[in-house]
Amino acid sequence: MTLNRGRLYTILFIACFAGYIWLYLNISETLTGQQSFNVCLIKQVTNIPCPSCGSTRSIISLSKGQLMEAFSINPLGIVVAIIMLFTPIWVIIDLLFKRKTLLNFYQQLESLLQQRKYAIPLGLLVILNWVWNIVKGL
Amino acid sequence: MEASKVDMFIMSNGKFFEGHHINAIREKLLIVDEEKWPMLSTLQFKEPTTILIVSLLAGTLGIDRFMIGQTGLGVGKLLTCGGLGIWAIVDWFMIQQATREVNMEKMQQFLH
Repeated sequence: MTLNRGRLYTILFIACFAGYIWLYLNISETLTGQQSFNVCLIKQVTNIPCPSCGSTRSIISLSKGQLMEAFSINPLGIVVAIIMLFTPIWVIIDLLFKRKTLLNFYQQLESLLQQRKYAIPLGLLVILNWVWNIVKGL
Repeated sequence: MEASKVDMFIMSNGKFFEGHHINAIREKLLIVDEEKWPMLSTLQFKEPTTILIVSLLAGTLGIDRFMIGQTGLGVGKLLTCGGLGIWAIVDWFMIQQATREVNMEKMQQFLH
């Protein structure tokens, strides 16, 4: 599976689209007051929250403008929100101008993340965030 | 390269590749210079079964994708709880093939 431009952009577009649908479902659920369903495999099986549990709640509170609350629920939610906001725009601009700046950026980022000096601190941050999630009991 | 060496390589490393790759690899290796043999024997491939076990246990964290070198997809899986759990389950069935494809890419880099 070599990652070419069309393939990457399709994956990103589908992912963002699914993300927005998921967000819509969750927002409409919180409005009607129904209990939201849980899709996280780790939480279902072990009852322990995973590193990215709470991202949805974080993004929802971010959409209400409560930045601190979003951060305290799960900082990863802010990262996901930034990705979900900018990727579709970037993909559309790239497709319109027939460039592949996003693909180049993605490949650069990937090779950067594979270097130990970035991979280890970021991995530790994720683990710390996970510990924080478990302590908070999301 | 000698046919016996190529066959030995295929026999010990066949499990790392898709069935339809094997013939192409064999033909290309037969043309390749004898000098490349020491380098070829040091190549490390990812074992599809090991990656499958990792995928079953820690697929929702994207560790399987990290291990085969697809860091971007790994981050995507990590940030979305394994693609809301769906991608994680799909990957239980896809990851072995993906691993073999990655191995093939590595092999192609060597052959060129």
